Amino acid sequence: MSQNAYDPETAKQEIFAYAKKRGALAVGVADLAAIERIAPPGHRPSDIMPRVKSVISVGVGGQTQGAWTVPAKALGYFGSTETRAYSCVYALAFFMESMYGAPSVYCPPDMDNEAGPRVPLQSLKLHAELAGIGARSLAGDILLHPEFGYMYFASVFTELELPPDEPMADNPCPAPSCTDMYRKIGQTPCMKFCPVQCLSGKIDAEGKQEEMHYDMAACAEMTQQYEAVPAMLARALEAEDATQRTDALFDPDNKMLWYKMSVGSGGLLAQCFECMRVCPIATRSPQADPIRRRNSK
Amino acid sequence: MTQGYSRDQLGVTDAMIDAYGDIVFKLSNNHQIRRGDPVRMKDFAAIEAHRHELGMSDEQIAERVGLAPAQVTLIRNLEERRRFRTGHYHQLNKLGGGKRFRAERMTPLQDHFRYNEDALSLRAAFAFDPATVRGYVEDGYWKNDTLRGWLIRNAEETPDGRALAGAGGDLTWRELRERVGKLAAGFYKAGIRPGDVVAVQLPNTRDYVESFLALCWLGAVMTTLYMTFRESEFRTQLAHSNAKAVILPEIIGDFAAAETALRLSVELETLQRVIVAGTPPAGAIALASLYDVPPLPKELPAPTAADPFLLLYTSGTTSSPKGVPLNSHQMLTNARLGVVEHDIRPGDVVLSAAPYGHLFGLYSIEMAICAGASIDLLPIFSPPAFIKAVEEDRPTHLFAGPAHLAACNGMGLFDKADMSSLRVTVLSGSAVPPDLVRACAPKFTGGVITQLWGMTELQAGLYSRPGDDPEIAATSAGRNSPGTHVRIGDENGNELPRGEEGELQVRGPSVFAAYYNNPEATAAAFTADGYFRSGDLACMDANGNVTLSGRLKEVINRGGVKYSPQEVELLLEKHPAIAQCAIAPVPDERLGERACCYAVLKPQASVTLEELCAFLTEKGLAKHKLPERLELRETMPMTATRKIIKGQLKP
Repeated sequence: MSQNAYDPETAKQEIFAYAKKRGALAVGVADLAAIERIAPPGHRPSDIMPRVKSVISVGVGGQTQGAWTVPAKALGYFGSTETRAYSCVYALAFFMESMYGAPSVYCPPDMDNEAGPRVPLQSLKLHAELAGIGARSLAGDILLHPEFGYMYFASVFTELELPPDEPMADNPCPAPSCTDMYRKIGQTPCMKFCPVQCLSGKIDAEGKQEEMHYDMAACAEMTQQYEAVPAMLARALEAEDATQRTDALFDPDNKMLWYKMSVGSGGLLAQCFECMRVCPIATRSPQADPIRRRNSK
Repeated sequence: MTQGYSRDQLGVTDAMIDAYGDIVFKLSNNHQIRRGDPVRMKDFAAIEAHRHELGMSDEQIAERVGLAPAQVTLIRNLEERRRFRTGHYHQLNKLGGGKRFRAERMTPLQDHFRYNEDALSLRAAFAFDPATVRGYVEDGYWKNDTLRGWLIRNAEETPDGRALAGAGGDLTWRELRERVGKLAAGFYKAGIRPGDVVAVQLPNTRDYVESFLALCWLGAVMTTLYMTFRESEFRTQLAHSNAKAVILPEIIGDFAAAETALRLSVELETLQRVIVAGTPPAGAIALASLYDVPPLPKELPAPTAADPFLLLYTSGTTSSPKGVPLNSHQMLTNARLGVVEHDIRPGDVVLSAAPYGHLFGLYSIEMAICAGASIDLLPIFSPPAFIKAVEEDRPTHLFAGPAHLAACNGMGLFDKADMSSLRVTVLSGSAVPPDLVRACAPKFTGGVITQLWGMTELQAGLYSRPGDDPEIAATSAGRNSPGTHVRIGDENGNELPRGEEGELQVRGPSVFAAYYNNPEATAAAFTADGYFRSGDLACMDANGNVTLSGRLKEVINRGGVKYSPQEVELLLEKHPAIAQCAIAPVPDERLGERACCYAVLKPQASVTLEELCAFLTEKGLAKHKLPERLELRETMPMTATRKIIKGQLKP
């Protein structure tokens, strides 16, 4: 594949336009050198694509307004929109190869198959933050955007060299109302309402994040079926008798895990969404509301 | 194993896992700390300085700790598993849709209430036939009736209606609900849990009603101790029922009830609490102190109709007592349908002369609550106290034994008292002499007298209705209660033609499933087609009215000619010299059995066998039924329910 001649700025705008046409709300180009410096060995773009020149990060929309009102288990069914992000970057990688003759890959969404699912193969979060389409929140470092709120991210690695964007100048988290709450009770909404209390932190005198503590182990146990399924199996194996073993395997909650595995659904358990449900930025940013987003067009 | 390699291949030992697990877990991204906003600021120095807090990759941890990356991966994954707190995801069921996590509202799954072994053992006794259950549910007999539900309903619909009346009573439904809720919390604080069996030995007082309802509210199971029970009966029943607590007065007459229970709590491992209505001795808990405690934990399961709520013991005239576990489906379906049949209406007043320790008394409570009628309290029956209660409280319904009416009638009290408030009087508990009904009925000017036949195993199986012919009510126990199927059967379970005497056999939505921990008795109690063998001799007329004629086991077989001695006993009770009598068989080489009359004579009286036979012959008794032997006794062996134990009568 030979690369076509291109103007980097023009190509960047064409790529952004295509991504948005495919459903992206926000697109940015991350500073590859920064990623390579921050990401640990084995988890850098160059570990996957040695001749990578650019990392494009794409954000797609989160929940509908109605979705935030439903019970947690129901939200687990249809709450995740991350597959839309993957389909967007999949198309984008093809687009870049066909338009510019630049080999491109969409960044595998999966976890590290050697280290296990608690270790991401690539940090999509790092790509997005450096691409300027999200900033780390107090809610377990989930990225937030002042206009689009809570998005899912995916990346394209390409040999096309594009000018990088800068990270966002300001972090929207914490929102003023969250700071007010923190001043009163020492917790923001995401901290207070996390069902496993995996979040804590500090806000400084200027209302900026001072510390973020995230107990990812507790969060994963709560929300990830890759932890719940083996735990359930282990519990069944450790059962005192056949009756308890059968009860464990056929517990309706546990059967939902089998169901989700059998149909390959990413929902339940993918997230519990409770920290996002109470986040004013995630749910009430101007463009986070699809209804307002439509009206603003 | 990690990346397909075993521990041996990686050289990882248990000692290494123990030694390095903590630091590997800490350095990994399982717990992340970010100070400031260094990534967004591209503050590489800050990122490097705090990389161990942000979470390191296995390769970085390996470099830092001095292990191979694959060893770190193995150790980290095992450590993650070791620290796993399973079951968290189940909490999602309780979140969202307007419900937010609150730490104080969440109880870890492992800390949730669980039934103890004794409670589970009791619950296992409800081994109903699936088709039977399906039928009762589909036909609408079994609903989710609970006394707690009925009490809440009454408190909401008629909060100021009178729930309790009579001696020590006078509570509205709202007040009763509040007190019952508080006492249930008090029982919980005292260590009583849903499914625990609690014995109650109290007279018909407010303490009784509130204790009973509070146990129902909590989901505990009440077992009743008759007021006549003493240490021997306590020991037997408290041990067999695995009762966790007992509620009783400090003393009953000259019986130190509370002290006895305390002594038994040392002897019986399961008996842990003695709760005293009154002044408790050291080591016991005052019932009154249990009304002022924190509310029940919210995660406790609310009782349902399928939960056991009574463990009653048969009166045992022929053998040792048997425990009968009963749930709300059985008892409250029977009560709900009985309300209409006994014509109990909202605002009526229901008086029980029968002790609440007997199922007949509890039946009256269940129906009163179901109907929204007042429960009229008569703590201990005596003819004057009973007449006073009727005249002052003006009950509309009376549940009493024949002996109660006989005592009052014998003293001529009905001739002077105003009994006109009674719309329905239901007699049960023992054989009802027709002449007693005929004598009392004209004096109960406001209503009718009916009969009821029931057993611990099924509550109310037969009763006559208020609209029945008075002679039917005087001479029979009436027809089947709604949903109950009764038949007169032979020993093989074949139904006999109407008019023939045989065993009364019953099936229906109130019939028990099994005796508690007594499979032999359970097997003997049912016919092959699922009818309960009552052991009562009876015949049924063309209209379905059933007349009881004695106990099957008491039948006398005189040379192949069988007859029930009950008819003879009823005649002998009219003899002027006889205070109490019973006819029981004695072995005979020629005829197999002959009838022996055991009698307690009235003071200064005397009688001979010949005189008795002449008396009976004059009354028209057939010759083969005449007793052939007379045994005089100072006293009779009696059950707690005042029935003669014929099995103990020997010449």
